[in-house]
Amino acid sequence: MIKHCIFGTIYVNTNVINTKHITMKLLLSTLVVLSSFFSLAQNKTIAAGEKLTYSASYNMKGLLNELAEVTMQTSEVKTSKSTLLKLKCTAVTYSKWDSFFKIRDLYESYVNPKTLTPYLYNRDIYEGGYKKFMKYKFNHKTKTVASLKRKTRRDGTEWEEKKTVKIGSSTRDLVTTLYHIRNLDIHKASIGDSQNFKVLFDNKESIVTIKYLSKETINTAIGKKECYKLSIAINNSDVLKGSNNNVLWLTADANKVPVYAKFKIAVGSGELKIKSAVGLKH
Amino acid sequence: MKKLFLILGFIAAILAVILAVTPLSKLAYIPSVAALIFGVLSLITSKDNKQYKRSIQLIFLMTIIALTLTTYKALFTEAEVGNTEQLEEKEDQLEQESLDELDNIELEELDSE
Repeated sequence: MIKHCIFGTIYVNTNVINTKHITMKLLLSTLVVLSSFFSLAQNKTIAAGEKLTYSASYNMKGLLNELAEVTMQTSEVKTSKSTLLKLKCTAVTYSKWDSFFKIRDLYESYVNPKTLTPYLYNRDIYEGGYKKFMKYKFNHKTKTVASLKRKTRRDGTEWEEKKTVKIGSSTRDLVTTLYHIRNLDIHKASIGDSQNFKVLFDNKESIVTIKYLSKETINTAIGKKECYKLSIAINNSDVLKGSNNNVLWLTADANKVPVYAKFKIAVGSGELKIKSAVGLKH
Repeated sequence: MKKLFLILGFIAAILAVILAVTPLSKLAYIPSVAALIFGVLSLITSKDNKQYKRSIQLIFLMTIIALTLTTYKALFTEAEVGNTEQLEEKEDQLEQESLDELDNIELEELDSE
């Protein structure tokens, strides 16, 4: 009786242990699958030698004024040990604006060509006399970023600030995030799905939420395209206004080219329209 | 009333001319339309008063100049990117610096994949 009772108890316990094991295994495998989806997602969209050109306009009382040309370019760079992918974004004002408010912005990121993991990020901006330089050196092992900020004082002298910033395992810089969005499996998502991304900007981590709104066919300079309509929102930030006012249209094909973007900022609204796309992977 | 329309017409016409010569030329349409309206209104209210005739003519003249300039700019000038030499130089310099730094950075993750 006692033995039976004891065995009975043991039996029950092993059952509990078994269930615990299965749950743990399930959890672990889900985590592994999820982490591989988010952080080690393979690059299937971006190839070296791609160049996308856009025209940025600012909406003033319903009249659109073409302000600047924005380009997004990729190229292959070789270090002594490996080959990396360089992602570069530039914004240059049209010549008629240069004497009023000259913009020469450069954002670039050196990433792993297979996984789009960033290693080095540079931001060099010149906006109407305001100069700033930022550099992030990612260390994914220690989950830190060595950041360097260089600014110019009014008298022309420069000052530097060096900092070490703690980051999460999936934190990326701005440029890499833009390219990473193109690399997402949107065709597997359903309308209304959203995903959060951690972006490092000005030494601070912000959470950017991307929501899949719908599928739409729009006319662009590169033809009539069926597009994924995505909304972008930055949590705890006042840069972009409203929840569904900042929208991005990506072509619903294997290239997922951003063809059109609409955004609302504190002093009005603007849009980004594609002018040309060359060197696409598919 | 006559004087008010005339003054408003003048202000709108001058604003239209100023905006028409700036890169914001598209915005000149708004004061141009306003100047035309005020011009017509002052024409109606002043009737045959010769004292105002010349001023009203001037408002119309300025508005027409502003409209012609704006339309010409909108039709015939293409948006072109300015001088990017400095930016290109900076790009090359930054790339060189970055590659030097990336030589020292640990790329084990890249190699192991």
